Parts: sequence; structure tokens; C-alpha cells
Amino acid sequence: MHWLKRVRILASLIFFLLTCSLFLDIWYVVPSAWSMGFTGIQVLPALLRTLKIFSVVSVGFIFSVALTLLFGRVYCSTICPLGTFQDFFIHLSRKIDRRKKSKYRKPLTLIHYSFFAVTFILFVAGSPLLLNLFEPFTNFGRVASNVFGFIAIALNNGVSVLLEQFGIFSVYHIPMLRFMAGSMLFALAFAAFIGYLSYTQGRLFCNLLCPAGALLSFLSRYSAFKIRIDEHACKSCRMCENKCKASCIETETKTLDFSSCVGCFNCFDACPTSGMKYEFSWRFKKNVSVDASRRKFFVTLFVPAVGMKMIAESLEKKNDYQINRSHPISPPGSVSVQRFSDLCTACHLCVTACPTQVLAPSFFDYGMAGMLQPKMNYNASYCNYDCIECSHVCPTGALLPLDIAEKKVTQLGRASFIKSDCIVVTKKADCGACSEHCPTKAVHMIPYEGLFLPEVNDDMCIGCGACEHACPVRPNKAIYVVANPVHLKAKKPQEQKPQKVFDSNQDFPF
Amino acid sequence: MNRREFMKWSVGAGVVAGTSMVTGYEKLFSSTSKAASLPYHLVAVKGGEPDVMFQKGIEALGGIRAFVKKGQKVVIKPNIGWDVTPERGGNTNPILVAEIVKQCLHAGAKEVYVFDHTCDNWQQCYKHSGMEAAVKNAGGKMAPAHTENYYHDIALPNAKNLKTTKEHELLLESDVFINVPILKNHESTRITISMKNMMGCVWDRRFWHGNDVHQCIADFAGYRKPALNVVDAYYVMKQNGPRGVSTNDVVLMKSQLLSTDIVAIDTAATKLFGENPADVRHIHIAAENKVGRMDIENLNIKRISV
Repeated sequence: MHWLKRVRILASLIFFLLTCSLFLDIWYVVPSAWSMGFTGIQVLPALLRTLKIFSVVSVGFIFSVALTLLFGRVYCSTICPLGTFQDFFIHLSRKIDRRKKSKYRKPLTLIHYSFFAVTFILFVAGSPLLLNLFEPFTNFGRVASNVFGFIAIALNNGVSVLLEQFGIFSVYHIPMLRFMAGSMLFALAFAAFIGYLSYTQGRLFCNLLCPAGALLSFLSRYSAFKIRIDEHACKSCRMCENKCKASCIETETKTLDFSSCVGCFNCFDACPTSGMKYEFSWRFKKNVSVDASRRKFFVTLFVPAVGMKMIAESLEKKNDYQINRSHPISPPGSVSVQRFSDLCTACHLCVTACPTQVLAPSFFDYGMAGMLQPKMNYNASYCNYDCIECSHVCPTGALLPLDIAEKKVTQLGRASFIKSDCIVVTKKADCGACSEHCPTKAVHMIPYEGLFLPEVNDDMCIGCGACEHACPVRPNKAIYVVANPVHLKAKKPQEQKPQKVFDSNQDFPF
Repeated sequence: MNRREFMKWSVGAGVVAGTSMVTGYEKLFSSTSKAASLPYHLVAVKGGEPDVMFQKGIEALGGIRAFVKKGQKVVIKPNIGWDVTPERGGNTNPILVAEIVKQCLHAGAKEVYVFDHTCDNWQQCYKHSGMEAAVKNAGGKMAPAHTENYYHDIALPNAKNLKTTKEHELLLESDVFINVPILKNHESTRITISMKNMMGCVWDRRFWHGNDVHQCIADFAGYRKPALNVVDAYYVMKQNGPRGVSTNDVVLMKSQLLSTDIVAIDTAATKLFGENPADVRHIHIAAENKVGRMDIENLNIKRISV
């Protein structure tokens, strides 16, 4: 095997496993700083984040751009997890059918770049929908989080049940609170789509729909090192064309469209006469064909998406209570529901990172344009008062990093108490589950007919959902969080020292 | 009782009968009968560190060997309900629990497990309470209790409201159950001590909250009787309980109580806290049901100052 191809395979496997480790971190061992550092080289999420804040992520972004300006789109065959994911299918297709050959395809540059332009304009105009649907890191993340993650937890739980028989609890059962049928179905459908496309057409996705591919394709036109075919060495045997995943080599003209080339180096391995050259190009005349195709292609993913919503709704585990909120509750660090929805590509890294699994994928809660974006799901769990994980892993900057002190006064919403539904009123018995769980004591108990009744101090509430989660009333919760469209700053809990009634110098009062 | 309830009840009863035959957990109840032979009904210790106070207290009761025999499986149930540090007084002091683990192992216990069905995220609770590190250090094992599969159906035939529930399997399988609550304020049940601590033994707490929480607490106390209760009153949360907001809610009491009688120990602890035990309904109900005695003035109490 040619050394370039060998390096590519090794690098791609390392990056792939690293990406998987982030999304399959079911034991919560990967530190958020590592996660953030690593996702920083994912070119589009890092670009979005860099537009918001300059951080460690920006270094990664610069690295990926520089890499492309030096060596072409090697990113697409190493760093991009969706690229490697497609390579598995391409590899499989060639294992199954050894005679399978790639054929040159006229570059779809015009459509691809136009699609990127639309994607970008739409994003600037406030909708990340096309990024959400086609950005490769996002889509791979969703497959990994929703599908692989599910399998990993199922395996873990199988092992935990076995070990439990022997009194071993070190592998513990992991609840599956964050899995939503709609999101899982979408991820599965995307995996099937990308699997089929790559199995039959190679890396067509990367040269037609992928926004990162378009950006890097454009940059690679100016790369320092480029691949070209040595016309004298080439015997027109087609071996390279047959092995080209991107279908960018045309034997007839002995040319290679470097802007479509994903840098897999299969051609180096295939060429029997060492006719492939990887040369410094800045001093040479360009010999790249930039033949833009005018073929039309209809993207019809929206229709299945709507169909899936209907299936998803019918499959979604019915909550035992329903609250019609005017807005979904957006995670801490999102600043406002609108801002979050405008920036989040729904990669679900925060969903995976959330230790309480209160973050879960929505479907259309943020509207069509915000499909699959994560929301707070207080049916499953509530937001831990001392946790800031989600805000520290977001690769796109849709969630801005919070420190603990900021988080503790970030008001996502406010608890709304419906007295007439409360146990204390309806059953004339003490309960207090809501106040018990409240970390700020915004929900506290006041005397009521010989019992204790909850009362909410709006200003101190941070909307963490602990009260709503704990409330035992069905079908309508007696206390639930109403979202703040724009997150507010809560008042700090009041602190007064209690009176001391007993200390160890006194005699026992009994 | 309609047909469905009857089915549920008989399945529950069957499970209990079945498990008790298989695991022999009736041993748990036999250990309580020893109470009569103990030198004191209640031991109250003050003025020391949590581990030292336990050493003095258990010594007064005849040593840990009065409760734990060689080769037995022990389960300790502290309060680890909240993601807070020890000085916040939200969870049982880890130094105390570690000392109990050590003594049990020293007495020849085969295994010592510690668990709680936490309110906040269990991993954060186990970690930030200091419990996980302390227990592991002492040679004990932390067990998970955060998903339903660790709980099994039981029936409580003598209960008024809590007729059936799901109890943690470690309680069903162990020979000795030691209940180690922390004394603290609780805005809805007024106070939380030994009986309230046992809410962390079951899966569905919402049922308790929804069906007269005091009655359910008393119901469960009538069914599951710890071999020993140790009340941690070192850091005591006086207000904003049970979670607390900051260390400002906490006073230093440096005390500890030990007893096999869950009603007596909760009565004494309530007095220590500065409230009237008669105002705490679950203590009252449990005393009426003869789970234990509220008349602690008639009991043999050992008071120790360290």
C-alpha cells in the first residue's frame, strides 16, 4: 500500500475513534475541555463559534483551513467523521463486489457552491436548517449520539445485569432518558441515506451537498500541494479512475479535478506506473479543470422529514403529563430561545454530555427551521444546580460557556404554581416534593390549614425544573416551568444564619 | 379491593414470600429482637468527631459485633440525596459512614454495601458528598440505586396507604441493615431523620408524596426495621431543608445518636433539633402503630460526652 494512503487510513481511524469517544461517552469520563479542543478542528462548527467568540476552537478552525490551503481536502478523508463513515460503506461495497469501479463524474461545482451559498445566506438570515440537515459533523454526531449511543448503553446495561448477579455494581445501569423516537428515526434515516449514497456513488455527498466540502473545495483550488497526473507516465489504464472515491479523475484527458478530490490517495496506490504526482503547485501553472456542471438535482429530504414527524409522534413515549409551553426551554448558556435556535445545528453533543439527561432532542418544538435542537425535558430529569457541562462542549457557540456562579443565577424560565391542582389542597395532606428539590428555595413552604403549601418566589427561580420533575400530581402538574424567551438573571438566594439551639457544651434536651 | 388490586397484592406478596425463602432475609427481623438484650435503649454522644463519637457510642451498645456477625452481608443506607459537600449538612457525614464500614468489616462482614436513591443526579451526589471516596477507602462498596431495575416488588400487609412498593434489592438480600440518616430541617415534613431517610430505599417516592407522605413514612417504618439506626447530628441544617442553599443554613452540633428503636431515636433527635416530636406526624403515627416508643423519658438512655 502506498504510504500516503496508509497515513490517511491511520489518521482517519484515529480521528473517527476520537469523535466517537465524545458522542459515546456514556460513563461521562471525557472532560469538556478535551471535547471542546477536539471539536475545534471541525471546520464549520468552529467557524460558527469563531464568529461568536474567539477561543481555543478558533485555533482548530485556523488549523483546518491552513491544512487545506497546504494539502487540499485531506480534511475530508481524515478529520471529517462523516467522511470516514462513508469510507466504511465504500470499502464494504468493494469487498462485496470486487469488480465495482468508479467512473468519472463531471464536477457538480456550480450546484454545490450555489447550495453552499444558500445554506450560508439562510444561516446569516437566522436559520441553521440547511447546516442542521447537511453539516457533516452534526449529522455524524446525531447518528453517533442517537444510534450508536443507544446501542452502547444497551450493551452496558446487558453487562450490568449479568455482573449484578455476582454482586458487582461497578458497571451500573444507565437510564435511557435522553432518547427520543423522532430524533433516533431521523438519525437512522440519515445513516441509511448516507450509507446508500456512498455505497453506490462514493463521495457524491461531499461534492454535492456538504457545506464543509464546498468551503474546503473552494480553498483547495489555492492549495500549495496538489495532485496531478504525469501525462508521460500515464498509460491510460483507468486504474486510478476506477478507485477514485470522489469520481474526480478523467482518464481521457488525463486530468484530476483537485477541487473535488477528497485526498484519499487511493489513486497513488492504484497507479502501476507511479503516474500520480503530489506536487508543490504555487509556482506551476494551474492544470485543474474547473468545468462546472449544469446538471440539475432535486433535494427532496423535506418530504420524508415531514412524514417522519408523524411517525415520530406516534412512536414517542407518551409522557404521563402534558404541558403546552409557548416556547421550549432552551439550555443554560443559550441566552435566548431565538438566539439558540438561530445558531444550533443540533449535533447533540450537549445532549450526550448532560449527566442528568435532562437535555433531549426536540423535534419541531423550535419550529421547522430548528428541528432536532435540544431542549430541557423535565419529564425525564432536571438541571443539576452545580453543573455547567453543556455550555462547555457546544462546538458552534449556540451555548456560550457559563461559570458556576453565572449558571446559578441564569433563569431559563419561572416556576408556575397551580394551587388548585396541588396535593396539599386536593388531598389535604403534606407533600412538599417541589420545595424539597428546589436548589434556591425559590419554591418554599408556607403554613396552610395546619399543613404546608408551596409558594414561588419568581425572582429567585432559575427554571431548573426540579419542582416540576418532582411534582407527583397527574395528569396536570401542580407546578411547572414556563420558559423565558430571553433568559434573565435571577436574584441570589437570601441568606440568614439560623439560631443555634443546641451545642455540645449543653446537656442533651432529653 | 377490586380484582386488579388483588392480583397486584398477591403478586407482591408472592414475591416477598419467594424472596424471603430464597434469601432468608427474615434474619433482618431477628436482629431487631436482640434489642431487648442490649444494655441501653438509646445512646447519645456529643462533643467529638463523627468517627470518634461512633466508636464511643457503639462501644456502649456492646460493640459492632452485637449487630454484625462473621460472614454476613451488610447494607448501610446513609442520606446521600443531594449534590452538596459535607459541610452543607445535606448528606450524612462520610467520615461517620466510613467508620461504620470499617467496623463492620473488622467484625468479619463478608461485604458492606452503601447506597441511596438520590434526588439529585446520583453520580454527582456520590462524588461531591465525599461518600464514594470515603466508603471505597474504608473497604466498602458503593452500589447504584438510580434505575428501577435495582428495585423489586414488596407488599406491606400492615400498611395503611403504602400497600405495595418496590424496594432496593440490597435490602432484600442483606443480613444486616444499618440506617444512617442525617438530622436536618425539612420544609414539608418539618424534619428528616431515621424514618424519613428510608424513603431512599424505594423506587417510587412520588407515590408517597401523592398519598399522605407522613402516613407512607410510618407505613414503611412498620415494615422495614433497621438492625441499628445512627443519627448524624454533626453538621445540622436548621433551615431551607432538605437540600439547603448554603452553609449559612447549617449549625455545628457535634452530636450523634444510636438506637435500634427508630421511633425513640427520631423522638430524641427532634428534641435535639429544638422541635416538639408531637408535631411531627410520622413519628406520632409510627408510635401509635407500636413501631417504637415515643416515651423516651421512660427509656434507658446512655449519655456520653467525648
